[in-house]
Amino acid sequence: MANTTDNKLKRKGMGAKASRRLSNFVIYVILILITVIWLFPFFGIVMESFKIDTQAMDGELFPKQWGFDNYIRLFKETDFIKWFINTAIMGVATAVFQTFFVLAMSYTLSRLRFKGRKALMNLMLILGMFPGFLTMILIYKVFSDLGLTMQMAPVGLVIVYCASSGMGYYVSKGFFDTIPKTLDEAARVDGATRWQVFYKVIMPLSGSIIIYTILMGFMAPWGDFMMASYIIHENSAGMSVAVGMYEWLSKTMLNSHYTMFCAAGVVVAIPVVAVFLALQKYYVEGVTGGAVKG
Amino acid sequence: MKMSKILSLVLAVMMLVTCLVACKPKTPENPNEDLKGTYDITMWVSEKDGVADQFKQQIAAFMEANPGIVINVQVEGVTEADAGSKVIADVASAPDIYCFAQDQLARLVQAAALLKPGKAAAAAIAEANDAGSVTAAKVAGELQAYPLTSDNGYFMYYDKSVLSEEDVKDLATIVAKSEAANKKVRYALENAWYTASFFFATGCHHNWTTDENGEFVSVDDTFNSDAGMIAMKGMQILTKSTAYDSNADIFTDAAVVVSGTWAAEDAKSYFGDNMGVTKLPSFTVEGKTYQLASYSGYKLMGVKPQNDPKKGAVLSLLAQYLTNAENQLARFNEFGWGPSNKEAQANEAVQANVVLTALAAQNQFATPQGQIAGVFWDNAKLLGAVAKNATTDADLKKGLDDYTAALAAFTKLTPEQRRSYTVIGGIKDSNWGTDFLMKEEPAGTWISVEAFDLAAGTEFKVRKGMSWDVAFGDNASNADASVGTNNKANFKVETAGKYYIKMVLNADETSAVIELVPAE
Amino acid sequence: MKQLSDLAYLKLNKFQRFWYNFLMFLAAIPRWFVGLCKRIGRAVADFFIDIKDGILDIGRTFKQGNWAVKLSFLIFGMGNLYYGQIMRGLFFLLFEVIFIVYMILPSGGIHWLSKGNWFQTGATIGNQQGHLEYDPIYDTDKWIPGDDSVKVLLYGLLTIIFIIAFIWTWRLQIKQCRICMDITAKGKKIKSGKEDLKSLLDDQFHKTLLSLPVIGILAFTVLPIIFMVLVAFTSYDAAHDGYSNLFSWVGLEHFNELFDFGQGGLGLAFGEILSWTLMWSFFATFSNYFLGMFVAIMINKKGIKLKKFWRTVLVMTIAIPQFVSLLYVSKMFDSSGIIGELIRDMGWLPQSMVDAHQYSLWANPTSAKILLIVINIWIGIPYIMLMATGILMNIPADLYESSRIDGASPWQQYTRITLPYMLFVTGPYLLTSFVGNLNNFNVIYLLTGGEPLNTEIGSAGGTVVGHTDLLITWLFKMTLGSTDSRYYMASIVGILIFVVCAVLSLIVYNVIPSTKNEEDFK
Repeated sequence: MANTTDNKLKRKGMGAKASRRLSNFVIYVILILITVIWLFPFFGIVMESFKIDTQAMDGELFPKQWGFDNYIRLFKETDFIKWFINTAIMGVATAVFQTFFVLAMSYTLSRLRFKGRKALMNLMLILGMFPGFLTMILIYKVFSDLGLTMQMAPVGLVIVYCASSGMGYYVSKGFFDTIPKTLDEAARVDGATRWQVFYKVIMPLSGSIIIYTILMGFMAPWGDFMMASYIIHENSAGMSVAVGMYEWLSKTMLNSHYTMFCAAGVVVAIPVVAVFLALQKYYVEGVTGGAVKG
Repeated sequence: MKMSKILSLVLAVMMLVTCLVACKPKTPENPNEDLKGTYDITMWVSEKDGVADQFKQQIAAFMEANPGIVINVQVEGVTEADAGSKVIADVASAPDIYCFAQDQLARLVQAAALLKPGKAAAAAIAEANDAGSVTAAKVAGELQAYPLTSDNGYFMYYDKSVLSEEDVKDLATIVAKSEAANKKVRYALENAWYTASFFFATGCHHNWTTDENGEFVSVDDTFNSDAGMIAMKGMQILTKSTAYDSNADIFTDAAVVVSGTWAAEDAKSYFGDNMGVTKLPSFTVEGKTYQLASYSGYKLMGVKPQNDPKKGAVLSLLAQYLTNAENQLARFNEFGWGPSNKEAQANEAVQANVVLTALAAQNQFATPQGQIAGVFWDNAKLLGAVAKNATTDADLKKGLDDYTAALAAFTKLTPEQRRSYTVIGGIKDSNWGTDFLMKEEPAGTWISVEAFDLAAGTEFKVRKGMSWDVAFGDNASNADASVGTNNKANFKVETAGKYYIKMVLNADETSAVIELVPAE
Repeated sequence: MKQLSDLAYLKLNKFQRFWYNFLMFLAAIPRWFVGLCKRIGRAVADFFIDIKDGILDIGRTFKQGNWAVKLSFLIFGMGNLYYGQIMRGLFFLLFEVIFIVYMILPSGGIHWLSKGNWFQTGATIGNQQGHLEYDPIYDTDKWIPGDDSVKVLLYGLLTIIFIIAFIWTWRLQIKQCRICMDITAKGKKIKSGKEDLKSLLDDQFHKTLLSLPVIGILAFTVLPIIFMVLVAFTSYDAAHDGYSNLFSWVGLEHFNELFDFGQGGLGLAFGEILSWTLMWSFFATFSNYFLGMFVAIMINKKGIKLKKFWRTVLVMTIAIPQFVSLLYVSKMFDSSGIIGELIRDMGWLPQSMVDAHQYSLWANPTSAKILLIVINIWIGIPYIMLMATGILMNIPADLYESSRIDGASPWQQYTRITLPYMLFVTGPYLLTSFVGNLNNFNVIYLLTGGEPLNTEIGSAGGTVVGHTDLLITWLFKMTLGSTDSRYYMASIVGILIFVVCAVLSLIVYNVIPSTKNEEDFK
């Protein structure tokens, strides 16, 4: 018995370096493979956008002829710039308001204790189980009455994105939970009001989660198709990029707009990816710190 | 680009001149005096590049032709195929004028989303446009919208280097040659609009009855029949081949694409000089040959009902103007849209267009697309998939049975229909197979929606919710009016004639008096 | 099932333990259910006792109160004003004035309530239908607007909520009178308006922070959900849109339709879609979970370089808007897309699919489902990877160190340390992610749109059902994607999605320990 254990240890000791090298090698191979798979579609979109020999899907990866025609057409012949500006404005507005809503909700639930707190959390849990899309039927009707659809759709959509965003408090509450309670207590003993604790003690420590929330808010309008298509209701003045571009893949337009769709996809991805990569550190901190607690 | 702008400018001036002469007499009042004012309107037209701009120019020309009427227009591009359902989704904020494919007409009327052309205008429109488009714009005998194009049908584009003019006459030859050349036959048989072509070829039909509200009342359908089985087998000639591809939206690798005028430019750029255009081929099953049929369809322009009749009148005037001969011709020149206006159709350039010629050739075998419920589009498209996957005749038959069941379920599932009474019996060759709707007015009295030609001795019953749980017939069986109690004998017609069937229920709905009311 | 002693439990092997736990869970269900009933019963009893106490308290307040308190039973806030709480008093008074004015306005609360014909089966919602009328002067019809059922239902609902709020406020201000009376009786000072305001930043700070988010949730989630639940009992669809044609109350009729398992009934479709939805949710959640964890472990392994680079590569799928990447990927696997064509040309398609003339992976139900789950991995792994990274860093390193000395293999370390730790910490996350996948609209809609069509079922709910449709995409198609939007059916399906989620959550919350106590794990 003892002998075998000895042998095992010995073998381990001798081969440890070699086996670690081997396993690292395998891991590198897998990671490189993953990188190729992960980036391939994005590479494909970029290639597609430079094709000038066709405007349709042709099953080829590389363009036969290269050029910027798709981009020129995108900016000259379509309303893409308008859609882009609309979406960017929506992104910024959503980022601002949503951050306020989410932080207020999550901070309160995490660090303050009051009557009805548990009930509120249970209520939000239950509400989260209804498909959110259903609420759009009524919201559309009301917005249409108030004039917040069609050309005013960006305003309406920002309201939609922000109003119920308090329900997405989980990640940032998880983050606030990790800040030691003793900090609050110390400040309270020193005579700080709860507002001062919030403003002067906790917020300065919460940079990463604030930026995480801002980032999530900024990205929401770029990716949303379902609600946006409902509220915009075919109005070119209020169009967002997702809804405008989706039309290009419809049956009648696919053949003449496919490569331009890819070009537009590249243009949309650039700012979002840029912002994302610049703030990635905070995003990672937010997810790793916050989601742990859920 | 520049050339076309100059062209449309010239046309606009032409239209201005013609309109000054032509438009005025169409309305009884003098529109220039009565309708003066400023109007803000929104409009949905085809999403194709340039269409919106052309409409704007035409509206500008309209304003010049009608001094005093100022129109601030906002034009949006919305594909005609979806425009109708998007209007129905929110009628209150729908655009004032919109262009739509005619299959949505009944739904739009039902949703009160269409303002009928005035009486004088309706007469003029019926006079100026081809018979098919006028029929397509009618619901319950009344013109509901303005015919815009008469080109919404399909035919065949093919590659002359693969198929000869002789080859394209027979489906099996096309399939064999395309297979040999490793090319695709693109035919969207998983879309009911195209699936129907095989069924119409073998003599099947599918028609709906609508009431004046645009509500679908009953369906007359013979897809599930021997002829239908032949059609299914005909589809299999194609669907069982490796050359078959149900995606006809693209031209990649295609030898044949079954599509419509909208694909003309794509076809030209893909096939180049080898582009051939012709009617659909014929196919042979069990020794008999059938020419493939098609749907002919139309695009219409609709006006939304207005609270202000003055604005309604202006919109009506504008819609008439936008669909007149000159403007339809302008659209043909710019986008290749086939005109519905007879004067425009007679134009030389229109006559010389190969695509429209092929469409015209196919249209001889076309069924004008009437008002068809969505349940047909949803279920007939499954037949193409069934033909592809089926291995035995029993599979084909099951597909057809499922289709019939879905149609029956549709009529059964409407809540009103479940509460309401229907007539069933030996009426119109239905052989107790079809329920004919009745409507309730006033409460407790039900009368059939349509009048029937009833032969002497015809039997029928009136039943509730299309089930036999509550059904009234006749317990005397010798009078034209009699008291029926639940689940007794059938009502028997004494004297032949054209009748409405009327039933008066007693208060607790346990018995009823059924009576034949002569029509006219 | 008998509860085992600790000793007996330890003697069981792994499989037996699992079986034992599972059976214990099943055995606990009746008890748990009885407990739930009891709890509900107690809550109801408490509620009535509260009401009784409340009424007694109101009576006492009225008897003992002075003229101002008595007057505040009719005119809100008089008591507060009397006791010097000017701000509160005026606030209550204002509320009452607004309420009364709203109710009696010509198009106010009473007007809307009276039009609803509430819950009278067969009656329309709203009485006056809009219609067209011929105008001979202009030879055209004009639209005479009538009631809009949606508005009648909505404003009726709002009015009811307003009335409840009114009663609650009435009670609140009486309660405050009582408190003021008690405080004065004890000879203490009553809080001033200034102090009220100040407390909003201190003792009552939660009210300040929560007011806007909670109002947002009430208005944009709670209210629409109540509305949609009401819609389930009406005939609201495209043919009865409320504006052109009024819709009516139909009772439980549509619920029966959903559970009709015959041809054309919705039962079959619902069963089929539900089972695929659950299957999808299961595979999507766990494939992401384990693969994501695996990738995180690889990247975080000691000696692996470029950690940040690998992470950035993966995170690209989060950064690029899904509608761009998913639509492109969907086209990529199409029969004429880059990969679709490659698969075909290489003859990699199974013979059975070629025989059935299915030339792309999207055309066959089974391959489409598998492909969906695979592509979802592409989209979903990065989140888990990031999360797992955080958790892995939290696991005390000495745990691994000591286990290594004990001779544990990496696999054993994984199953004994990493996995239990991860599962413990991410239990709640797994649940939310499961529910999230249940409602994962984007992936399905953008990739397949529910196709290939299900020829066995055909159409249900006014739309054709596909093999890959989830409940949520079915619901979308029923409302927006179809020519006869059946809002009532959508709302019924919505309610059922809720029931499914709620049942799953109840089970999970009762089985996974870490969900029970949020203070536990800090």
